[in-house]
Amino acid sequence: MGPRMSAPSVGSYLASPRPEPSHRGGPAPIYVVCSPNRQVGKTMLARLLTQHYLADARPVAAFDLADEGPGLADFLTRHVTIPNIRDTRGQVRFFDGLIETGHVPKVIDLSHREFANFFTIVDKIGLFEEARRRSIEPLILFLIDPSPVAVKAYGLLRRRFPGTSLLPVRNLTVAKGVPYGAAFPHASTLVVSLEIAVLGPAARAIVERETFSFLDLGDEDSPHSDMSARTRAELETFFRRARFQFREIELSLIREQILTALQ
Amino acid sequence: MAKPAVILVGADKGGVGKTTVSRTLLDYFASRKIPTRAFDTECPKGTLKRFHPSITDVVDVTSVPDQMKIFDTVESSNAQVTLIDIRAGLMTPTLQALRDIGFIEMTKRDELTFAVFHILGPSIASLDEIAETSKFLLDARYFLVKNFINNTTFFDWDERTYNSYFNKIPHAVEVVVPKLSEMACEQVELSAVPFATFIADKKANGEPAGNSFVLRGYVRHWLNNVFAEYDRVRLVDIVDAKDPAGKLRGSGKITELSPQRANS
Repeated sequence: MGPRMSAPSVGSYLASPRPEPSHRGGPAPIYVVCSPNRQVGKTMLARLLTQHYLADARPVAAFDLADEGPGLADFLTRHVTIPNIRDTRGQVRFFDGLIETGHVPKVIDLSHREFANFFTIVDKIGLFEEARRRSIEPLILFLIDPSPVAVKAYGLLRRRFPGTSLLPVRNLTVAKGVPYGAAFPHASTLVVSLEIAVLGPAARAIVERETFSFLDLGDEDSPHSDMSARTRAELETFFRRARFQFREIELSLIREQILTALQ
Repeated sequence: MAKPAVILVGADKGGVGKTTVSRTLLDYFASRKIPTRAFDTECPKGTLKRFHPSITDVVDVTSVPDQMKIFDTVESSNAQVTLIDIRAGLMTPTLQALRDIGFIEMTKRDELTFAVFHILGPSIASLDEIAETSKFLLDARYFLVKNFINNTTFFDWDERTYNSYFNKIPHAVEVVVPKLSEMACEQVELSAVPFATFIADKKANGEPAGNSFVLRGYVRHWLNNVFAEYDRVRLVDIVDAKDPAGKLRGSGKITELSPQRANS
């Protein structure tokens, strides 16, 4: 698939397909799903995370900063905005929007090609500092892999954003056995670790369909009703396991907020 | 009392960013808590005064009464720094007038510090200005400012040619003002407040401005780089030569300013 057009409206940044419940708790996090490498599972993680919120009918804003498809916007067409951060006007729309609607969780699927540009801008404008000033917690979810590029990029992020949560995410399909150790040390007050399980070939083939949504798994009339019961069960377990980890993150964030409030 | 300093910001050519550099200097001294006053020679409407109205007077630097208003009060003023934003075409005549009244001679007697910020344009004419200006300077501090704020490329400067001019003035120090995003630059212009006030997201009257945080971030990043450049050339030394403990120096880097400080 070729380059995609960017969607313009600020209002559309707040994807909310179902009626919004009252906002729970305080400001919501900004998740930056990233890696300097391709094919490590960034879009998969961003899909899971976005659909984790959608599954509870909670509002979420998802952004596809990939410059090639299939990206997050191809899988979640109705829920994802494609921002343009190549010029200042686009940056103002995107980054100002990120912190203005602090109560809505944001998921950013960052392409490997935009990795350096994105973090350079974030550093210059002080996005993470401003977010934290507004009690919005930025979380960098870094898909680890054994390449020296990933190790170097992880180290750079740690040094450049010392106060920001940087969580290594292990996609067991590409990073099984890669030690966190010295190369990818956990850099966050949140005590969580993230893993994406391996899917079998049949389940993976289903997941790679652009029309597939984890939210349709319980729907007998879904367009993927051709899948076997075993594949369906595998995908349900896969999604449930991912959601369990996301809930751990959310609980850790709430715990941090309470501790901060008590101080 | 520290020795007073007079800073002339000028260029004979127009549109090279004299007022922009003057504004950064006023923000810099404010951040270091150095009392400063400014004179805007864009008479009668003024340009610098739009941004720093409380400390700026618009003057006609070619008139004797206004020259008296500036130079006769350098030592008696509460301000430690007197900054004069010289409008295009008036730098050489102003320097000439200062020499004629014996002002430049005072710098030789160590009674005050005199510094010139010469804003260079991209054309070779700017290099000719250097030779012209340097004739008047004697012991003055001479800063040659390459202003890239509008992405100027010094396209017709051959390195050797530039050095030949530059080396003629032994005390000249080069200062580089980096590029600032065009949109951020425009927004600060429209806001008509000091850069530090824009960063603090305040209007001139101290109320919240609601400026884009992206643009504020870009301005903060840029201004910190400009301040780093002023620190590099030890600009603060020209005003606190008699302040050995360096008490006047602030922390330097702009993070968030209090509204009061940001509006000063």
